[in-house]
Amino acid sequence: MTAAPIECRNLSKEYRLGFLMNRRVLALQELSLDVRPGEVYGLLGPNGAGKSTTIKILLDLVKPSSGTATLFGRVPGDRHGRRDVSFVPENPAPYEYLTGREFVTLAGRLSGVPSTEVARRVGEVLGAVEMQDAADLHIRRYSKGMVQRIVIAQALVHRPRLLILDEPTSGLDPLGRKLVRELILAERRAGTTILFCTHIIADVEAVCDRVGVLVAGRMRTEGSVSELLAQQKSSFEVVLEDFSIESVNALGLPVEDVDSLGGHTLVRVAEPELPHLLQQAIQRGARVRSVEPQRASLETLFVDTIQRASSKRRVGGEMVA
Amino acid sequence: MSGYGSLVWNGFRESRRNRVTLVVGFFAFGLVAASVLVTEVTVATFRRVLVDVGLGFMSLILVLLAIFLSSGLLAREIERRTIFLIVSKPISRSGFIFARFGGVLLTLVTLELVMAALLLVEVKAYGFQIDRSLLLACAMLILELLVTAALGFFFSSFLSVTLSAICTLGVYMAGQFGSDLYRLGSKLGPVGSALLRFTYYLLPNFERLNYRPFATYQALPPAATTLGSVAYALAYAMGLLVLASMLFERRDFK
Repeated sequence: MTAAPIECRNLSKEYRLGFLMNRRVLALQELSLDVRPGEVYGLLGPNGAGKSTTIKILLDLVKPSSGTATLFGRVPGDRHGRRDVSFVPENPAPYEYLTGREFVTLAGRLSGVPSTEVARRVGEVLGAVEMQDAADLHIRRYSKGMVQRIVIAQALVHRPRLLILDEPTSGLDPLGRKLVRELILAERRAGTTILFCTHIIADVEAVCDRVGVLVAGRMRTEGSVSELLAQQKSSFEVVLEDFSIESVNALGLPVEDVDSLGGHTLVRVAEPELPHLLQQAIQRGARVRSVEPQRASLETLFVDTIQRASSKRRVGGEMVA
Repeated sequence: MSGYGSLVWNGFRESRRNRVTLVVGFFAFGLVAASVLVTEVTVATFRRVLVDVGLGFMSLILVLLAIFLSSGLLAREIERRTIFLIVSKPISRSGFIFARFGGVLLTLVTLELVMAALLLVEVKAYGFQIDRSLLLACAMLILELLVTAALGFFFSSFLSVTLSAICTLGVYMAGQFGSDLYRLGSKLGPVGSALLRFTYYLLPNFERLNYRPFATYQALPPAATTLGSVAYALAYAMGLLVLASMLFERRDFK
């Protein structure tokens, strides 16, 4: 049986901060995570949720305080295990005095691409990220989007079986984001497993098979995108005329949200409450302008998960005494 | 070319394109070339002055460049997070340290050879003999640069760019006065003496690698002394790089 591309068991990481190293932050707490072969797994979470720490442990950039992690059955410290892995960090900074082509060539050689194949393969990936024309300029002359493309090219040069992307679309214009999404989908079609960390929900919805939401270092919810969307309660937005917010509150119905806009009152209710709201509001003289079903979205799930998180800290790791 | 070989070569390429290296290189070249001017204000002993000033300029500029290139290299890569892109590849961290060190050393040696060639041309142009003491002084300067760069790498593996540069410069300066420390120790009490002797053995002894006075006076030290100095420099630099690797292996890149 082939080992899972990523397997984490009870992974925790504690950072010590301050001059005397006496302040402790739990960046990651008891994280267990499995990424299956060929899937695109989206790791979502607010800033400081522990996404980057998870990635850094997987790539041996940071040592875990406890727990285990493996890549294709090998521990991250085993450099041979990283041969099939590639990484695109957030805000990458490649060597600025090298040209894009030189940097991608260096990445190819470090990743073990045979000398006879390097030049051809570098040309291919530079073409895939549409950087052939600028490949011979020094990287310090590149815009942020061009740097991101070169870093993606260096990640693809040795045809990795696992691609780890940390905010790969951050700072890109719409065309750049589209290109990155297309590259991710192309890699998925080619059978590459992808761990995709971001807080751009639209990107996750577009490319991920499964999603996990991390808040304050803990995994709060996990499942396939369709499962998670199905779990969400469906609700409706009702626009009422000649009916104030006070009148809505006076009905005593469990509404999710009520607001006024341009002389109208907007009420969001769960599906079972909709008939009661409409019936009682009409009986009391309200005019119904519209009833719109609210589309279940990952964004709602994301926000709800963060709000439900028991930790007082929703952003950043958990501080301990 | 292997992965590590590429890392060495790209390190050299980077340094060569770095404006600071270029400016320092041209400046040093100009200084060595200008050392002939000093002979204009010299009544006699032209050769001695030419060699002394030329080697002095070479040593000063190259040591400063070695501190600049080595002490900032690792720390800068960590601060800019370039390191994420490289150590996440299937390479060992110690291999990375040695390869990056190789790139810096290649840059320094190349510059040194060019400057030494210029100095030799000047000596020849004045009608003096290029003797073995001069060649030996040039060769030993490479070892001095080797130890200085290794010091920079050692500090850079756990300190910030600025602190690492300050510490490297400080230890380099202290290493120039090692024998003074030793002599001072002999005049103190047992504790002070032991402390200063320990410091003497701990600090790099750059006096052992300074063969410029031999070149100035056209004297050759015994072969055993030279071999001892070579072995000392290689062992000291290797020790520093191994320590840097050990610290680097354990380090978290947040």
